[in-house]
Formats: sequence, structure tokens, C-alpha cells
Amino acid sequence: MARINQNDLTADEKRILLALTKVESTSPEKLASLAEINVETAMRSAFLLEQKGLSKITEKTTETYSLTPEGILYAESGLPEQRIIEFMGSKETCLSDLKEVFSDQEAKIALGWLRKKGWASIEKRKDEVVITPLSITRDPQKEVLNLLHMKNTDLKRFDPEVIKALLNRNLIVATEKSDRVISLTDEGRRLAARGIEIIEEITQLTPDLIRSGKWKEKHLREYDVNAPVLEVFGAKKHPYRRLLDQMRKIFLEMGFEEIRGDIVQTSFWNFDALFQPQDHPAREMQDTFYLDSIGDIPMELAQKVKAMHERGGDIGSTGWGGKWNLELARTEVLRTHTTAITIKHLADNPNPPVKAFCIGRAYRRETIDSTHLPEFTQLEGVVMDEAVSFKNLLGCLAEFYKRMGFEKLRFRPGYFPYTEPSVEPEVYVEGLGWMELGGAGIFRHEVTAPLGIRHPVLAWGLGVGRLAMLHLGLKDLRDLYRPDMDWLWRCPICQW
Amino acid sequence: MPMVTLRYKDLEKLIGTDKNTIIDKVPMIGADVERIDVDHADVEFFPDRPDLFSIEGVARAMRGFLEIETGLPRYDVKSSKVSITIDKSIRPIRPHLACAVVRDLQLDTNSIEPLMSLQEHLHWGIGRDRKKVSIGIHDLSKIKSPFLYKAADPDIEFVPLDFDYPLSMRKILEIHPKGFKFAHILDGMKRYPLIVDAADNVLSFPPIINSALTMVTDTTRDLFIEVTGTDASVAIALNIVVTALAERSGKVESVKIFSDGGVRKTPNLSPTIRSLQVKDVNSLLGLDLNAEEIARNLRKMRFGATIHEEGVDVEVPAYRADILHACDLIEDVAIGYGYDRFKPEFPEIATIGKTHCIEDKFELLRDVMIGLGFSEVMTFTLTNEKVHFDDMRRPRSNVTRVKHPISIDQTIVRSSILPSLMEILSLNKHHGLPQKIFEVGEVLLNGKNAQRLACISMHSTANFAEIKSIAESVLRELGTEFTIEKADDTAFLEGRRARILVYGSNIGVFGEIHPDVILNFGLDQPVVAFELDIS
Repeated sequence: MARINQNDLTADEKRILLALTKVESTSPEKLASLAEINVETAMRSAFLLEQKGLSKITEKTTETYSLTPEGILYAESGLPEQRIIEFMGSKETCLSDLKEVFSDQEAKIALGWLRKKGWASIEKRKDEVVITPLSITRDPQKEVLNLLHMKNTDLKRFDPEVIKALLNRNLIVATEKSDRVISLTDEGRRLAARGIEIIEEITQLTPDLIRSGKWKEKHLREYDVNAPVLEVFGAKKHPYRRLLDQMRKIFLEMGFEEIRGDIVQTSFWNFDALFQPQDHPAREMQDTFYLDSIGDIPMELAQKVKAMHERGGDIGSTGWGGKWNLELARTEVLRTHTTAITIKHLADNPNPPVKAFCIGRAYRRETIDSTHLPEFTQLEGVVMDEAVSFKNLLGCLAEFYKRMGFEKLRFRPGYFPYTEPSVEPEVYVEGLGWMELGGAGIFRHEVTAPLGIRHPVLAWGLGVGRLAMLHLGLKDLRDLYRPDMDWLWRCPICQW
Repeated sequence: MPMVTLRYKDLEKLIGTDKNTIIDKVPMIGADVERIDVDHADVEFFPDRPDLFSIEGVARAMRGFLEIETGLPRYDVKSSKVSITIDKSIRPIRPHLACAVVRDLQLDTNSIEPLMSLQEHLHWGIGRDRKKVSIGIHDLSKIKSPFLYKAADPDIEFVPLDFDYPLSMRKILEIHPKGFKFAHILDGMKRYPLIVDAADNVLSFPPIINSALTMVTDTTRDLFIEVTGTDASVAIALNIVVTALAERSGKVESVKIFSDGGVRKTPNLSPTIRSLQVKDVNSLLGLDLNAEEIARNLRKMRFGATIHEEGVDVEVPAYRADILHACDLIEDVAIGYGYDRFKPEFPEIATIGKTHCIEDKFELLRDVMIGLGFSEVMTFTLTNEKVHFDDMRRPRSNVTRVKHPISIDQTIVRSSILPSLMEILSLNKHHGLPQKIFEVGEVLLNGKNAQRLACISMHSTANFAEIKSIAESVLRELGTEFTIEKADDTAFLEGRRARILVYGSNIGVFGEIHPDVILNFGLDQPVVAFELDIS
């Protein structure tokens, strides 16, 4: 270690060093009073001195003793052997006589100690135990009890055997106490011998010091730049929000209009307008949250949708056959996808071009587990224009995923009831392989024709939760919506 | 989605190439390979392609896709002497019927099991869980034509599959596992569907269960297949089953069906004809294919294709249930062409990006709240009345209730954000204080969307003054004139709660959360909160 110079020490460290020169070793309290600073500061400085090799801090364990309830009793009224010997005076006494005055137990305790302390001899004569008093000597046991009773804990002058006996008699208990002892090292002593000068230090600039310029004359305490400080966390957006914001930005940059809509939708907009047959399994109670209410639907459009479902309208489709039920279409549901919003937007804006996107909650009657939730965030985009094609749909997907940071992308045939052709884009994730991250397709003519849309509609959707889990390293989708505060605080904003 | 088990040995024999080529390419006709095992792969197919719900169907499609055998598969249908009559009595209940005979099968346990699983997948995919379509497959040697399909007295008895003693149809619905499961389809019917043979032996009780008499075993050579249902899709289900069996060199024969004094024969395996225009294909796909290329891709997908001047005449196989419109054929052209061969091209459409004003407002409010030291959370909107109202000491009002909740925890959609925030605090009570969180988002008031901002602060010295500062700060940012007066929201402590009025209408509330509410959420620190309607 490089030799320490007094300039490397703070004023408090110097005070401690000087205080230590006056005593060989000492306790924190004494050291603090010697240095005339508070105990916490004194110890912090002592530790810093230790790090510099100038002081040494050791732990010394001492035992202190206190009386048990029995010990208190004997301290006040005398030990049994003492009370018995005093009762006997100088007379030989039979044990049976003693037992008339003292309890069995007291007598038994007393007998043993009378013999050990040499205060009496005990003989057996015929059927009797006879106690003959000898001389009474000084009793250190009682002295210890008396001292402890008077809260005097300085027992150094006593034979350890005495203490041990009292511990065994269960009259006193021992408590361990460890004390720090601070002392100087040779290096510390040498440095102190070279002379220490205490210069007043400033730890905190004040308005007064700044205004008066006095700070220039004072010594500003240097900070250890590596010393730990209090951890603070700034308030911020939810990490999931940042991911959604990123996607929102991508769509806006690509010239899309943001749209929103109601959570409660009629089955008409959620299913029928998307050419989902009325007996489709996805429409059943097991998969969709129905409400008790019914809503209004545009009747003229409903007639066209009805014709499309039943006979395929007049566009060369077979339709689904059967009877289309208006009342069923009016039942309200919690939207099962944001496509209910995009299709409504297209119905309101049938003229090209339309480029729109929607980010919103969707609801499905899924049992909750680590990867399924009954509500989740969906992201959806549509492009409608003359002469857009499947190739353009793949182009939109490729651009979107590229901007999301996925370089490798492939397309597989998919199936969605309202698109044809349909495609499942997959992205390559290092370490996980190909991951399906959404679905896409061109809206069927059966969907677009009744709405008066005469051009192809490219559409794609993304379940964002899966992507979020991937990005945020979550194992459980629920953690997004029921976050651990510590995770929220610590989750860095630079994830992607 | 239906999972089809593809045993490599069988698959390689049916297709005529090695399993690696097949498994590698199968996703490109539209499938998810779920599991690859030593001797088989489990593959999921899409619900619009019930013809792929069997290994035979997959093999037929893959032979085309790999260009081992292309074009329309043709199946011979001879006439059999078997006939069945649809009795008038069944018409109001389950009027549709299609039947077939398939002979000379070499069945063993390895081929019976896939046949049963095809049957179940079709019940799911086309049959809507047997409601719309159900399929019965019988050992023809055990029964005698002509058969009769009728509505019968529920007390008629027969021995159902999996039992060895007779039960009445009524009893079957009560105690037979299949009866119990599908009894709901016959709810409210006084008479039940029944198919019997010339000797009055029961074949089946559609859509519930077959008779034990006609059980298919490894000695069965000839099958009688009946498909009953409530609409015409019985025909396609039959076609899928018989063509799958024909792929196993079964010989398909037709059955005469008498009804209403008329007679017809099923199955009808002749293709339907559709016409496809070259320009429609190219404009939808963004390709530049000629008629010959289109035809070749269609043949790969097992369509018959004949080129004419403007396009291609397409023969659609009788087992394809998904061709409603020309776009369905065009998708198959794209699949035949290969999705991996498309060159993605971003559409050059000049439009201007535009944000939604509500989202803009959300964004600004998030900035304000973060500036005030609150962290954003995004919570569930589904909740329940106990947490949402009772635990909050609030009356149940403006409720949007779902009809069939999954659990007692999610019975309604929230009408306020505060309870969601209380739940988050409750989940995080082991973490340090202060905890300050907010959410901007949606609530439903009697089914109608409304937008809210809510924030909450929990620490040992949280009080009314703190939250009033926050509320006023937000309101200042919104630039609206407002007044504050005493509130009566029982979620808050009396004398320490206030509401916000803008032009006389109540738009928000803030104050100290009532100690009972704090305890209801398992907390014990003072909590102050603020919720504002921003609709």
C-alpha cells in the first residue's frame, strides 16, 4: 500500500487518529467523546482509517451476568444454606427438625452447599441425618448475588469458579455482548507522530457560502466517486407501453391513420360483417363474452350481409347457406378482435385509399394461464386501394417486422375466416427459432362487397403480448398487467 | 385445430417419398407441425380444410404439392343394392342424410384408429360437435338392407357401443358417456332419430351412438356409412370419409335414398366446375402468371384444370369444403406457386399518418403524470363486483356484466380505474414506499366506453393536501376552468374527499382512501387517490 499522507484524510478521520493516540484501544463511545464527534461519524471514520491501514477494529466479546428470579429471591433473603445455618445457631440439628421449618427442597439444596462450603458436617446416625455447624466463612456466592442485585456488573475480582457455580445453581444467567475495540496500527501511530493538522472541511455547499465567497477559503470534502449512494428510480411509462408506442410510431411513419372504437360491439360488427357464419365455433359462449344487451345495426347493410351469408350475394360465392338470423347479429359482445373496429372504419370510408391501424384490447373467453388471458392487446393494420395485392400485403408485413427489428421473416399459408388468401408471417428469433407472430390476409369479397368496398383490403393483426414477453423476458403474460413494482422500477427503457 | 397423427411408415407408403421431404414441405400447404417424434409427427391443419383431417387426405394433397401425382383425383362409384328410406317422421328433427358403401377394405387396428379420429375431427370441423353433422360407420355384413331412417319412441331399446346390455334411447342419454355428452342436441324432442335395418335391428341412434351390433373390427371388410344432419353439408362430410377410404383402395359404392316418393344416389363424387380468370389471379396476388402456370399450380393442389381463352376451368374435388368463391381458388394458386417465392413489395400509396385525438390526450396525460412522479401501469379491465364495488365501499352501479364468466374473478368490465390500482398496490405491499402509480385507459359505463385517468399514492404521510396538489396540477395542464367541492364517494374518508366540477358537471374525485378500503385490499398505509373522466 502506498504510504498515506495526512492530506488523504478527512477532518473527522484526523480527529479519530489523534484521539486514538491518547488511548491504546477504546470503545466507539469513548472514542467519540475523545474526538468530540458523534458515535456514527466516529465509527465511519474509524472504518475508513482501517481501510487505509491506519486503525484496527476488533470485536471483543464479553459476558455479562444478571440474576434469575431465584437469584433475586436469594439476594434479598439469603441463600438456603445461609438461612439454615443461621437458624441452627451452634446446635446440632436433625434434618427432620429442619424440615419442619424449611421446605424439602430448600433443605436438600442447603445440605449439599453446607458441606461444600465447609460450614457444617453431616452424619448419618441411626435413622437420622444430623447436621453439626462448623465455622461460617466469607461467602463469595452471596457477594456476587448482592453486587448483581445492585446492578453492579464488575465481577472481575471473583474466582470464575464462583460464577460457574452460580450459573450451575441457575441463580444467574450470562449474556454475551460484543464490543468493538478500536486501536491504532503502527502505520497510524507513525502518521500521527509526524503531526496532524486539522483543517475545517465543508461537506455541503450552502447559499451563504456561495454568496459570501467563503467557500473558496474552506476545504471542500472530496467525494469517493465509487462510494455507493441511495438508489432512486424515475417514474416512467410501462415497458409494454413503450413497445406499443414503438409500433404506433412505425404505423404513423408508414402513413397510417390511427383509429379506435368501442369495446362493446354487436355480433354484427364483430362476426357477421366479417362473414363469420352464425354457427361458427368461435361465436359460441365458450369462446366469446356475450352481454345481456342487444344493439342497433344498420338495417340496409344488414340485408346485404344476410344475402351474402345465405346465398353469397351476387359475387359468385356460394355463401354459407341456411338462414341468417338478425336477432343473433344484434346480440352484444366484448369485441373478440380489433378487426371489428377496422371493418367499421372501412364501412364508413369505402373510398380508396385507406391506410389505418388500431391498437386496443380484445376479449376472449380463455382460461387464464401463463400464456393465455381473457383480455389482451391487439394491433391491426389495413390497407385498401386500387390494385393492391397479396405481394403488397407481404411487403407491408416485411416492412413492419423489419422496423420492429426482425431481419429474418418467412411466410406460410394460414387460415382466417374473413381473409383469402391468408398468411402466417413468422420471424426468426435467435435461440428460439421461427416464431409465429401474427396473421394476415386479404379480406374476402364476401366481407368487402356488402360494405361497398370495390378494392382489395390488405389486413394484418398481431397479438402483442407474445412479442412483449419475448422482448421483456417475461415467463408469464399476467406480469404485464399485474406488475411487480420493483420490476417496473428497474426495467430499463432501452430494451430494443 | 384438429391434430392429425402422421405415421412415417404409412405416410411414406401413401405418398411415395421420404418422410423428411414431406415434413419439410407440409407447412407450406398450410399446417403447423406440432411435434416430431421417432415414428410419427403430429400436425395441425386448419379448420377450413376438413379433407386434410386424415393421413389419407394429407397424402393425397402432398402427392400433388410434391408433383408426384397432380390434377383431380378420380374415384369410381359403382351402384350397390343397398338402399335406405327417409321416413317423414324424421323431417322436422334431422332431415339430411347421405350414405355410402365401401367394400374390400383391409382394416387393422392401425387403420381403424385414424378412421375414428377422422370421424371425430369431422364432427368438430363440419359437424359443429355433431349438431349439424354426425357420421356413423358400420360393418355392413352385420345388417340387412333396406334400411329405415326415422324418428322413434325414446323407449326403444338396443345395445349401444361400449355396453353389453340393451338400454332405451332415453336411458342412453342419461347414462352412456356419449349420450350424456350430446343429449343437449336432442333437447325438447319427443322422438329421437334412429336407423334400423330390414330386420328392425338398430344401426345407430344419430347423432349419439351406434349400436354394438355393427361395430367395426379388424375382420370388417365392407362398410356402410351414414351421415345425418341438419343441412346439406352431410354430403361433403360423406365425401371426405369415402375418398379417404378410397385412398386405401376401398371400393366406393352408392346407396339409394328414398324420400318423399323420390329417389337419389349418394355419394356424388363428381367435381364442381368453376371458372378462373387469369387477370383476377394476377391482380389479387400481384403476380404475372399465364394460364398454363395457373393451371399447373391448381393441379398441384389437386384441382382439375383446363385452359381456355381468358382463363382456366377448374374442377373442384367433391371433398373440398372450402371453395366458396374464386378467391379460395386463387389462394390455392398462391400456395401451389409457393408463398416462399413471392417477392414482398411495400405498396406505394401516398397517405399522411394521423394520430387519434384520444390517444394524443392519453399521451399528454402520461407525460404529466410521469412528471409528477407516478409510474404507469396497465391493468386488467375485467374484474368482479366484490373487488370493484364492495371492497371499495361503493354501491354497485353502471355495471357491464358478461353473461358467462370464466371465473368468479372476472364477471364485469370495470367502471372505474381506482380499484385496479388498489389491486396493484395490494400485490406490491412487500416493496418499499412511497408507491405512486397511474393508469390512463378505458372503462365501461353500462356498456359504453369512457376514458379515465387515475392515480394513487401510498406512503406513511399521504394526505388530502398531497392529492389535491396533484389533482390541481393535472387540471391546470388540461387548461379547463374547474371548481372543487365536497364529495360523497364512500371509497374515500368523509371530510377528506372532494369532487371536481367543470361547467357544473362532475368529472372527477380525489381524497384519502377510506381505512376500511385500505384494509380490504390487505394494506395498512395511508393511500390517497384521484380519478378523472377525460372523455
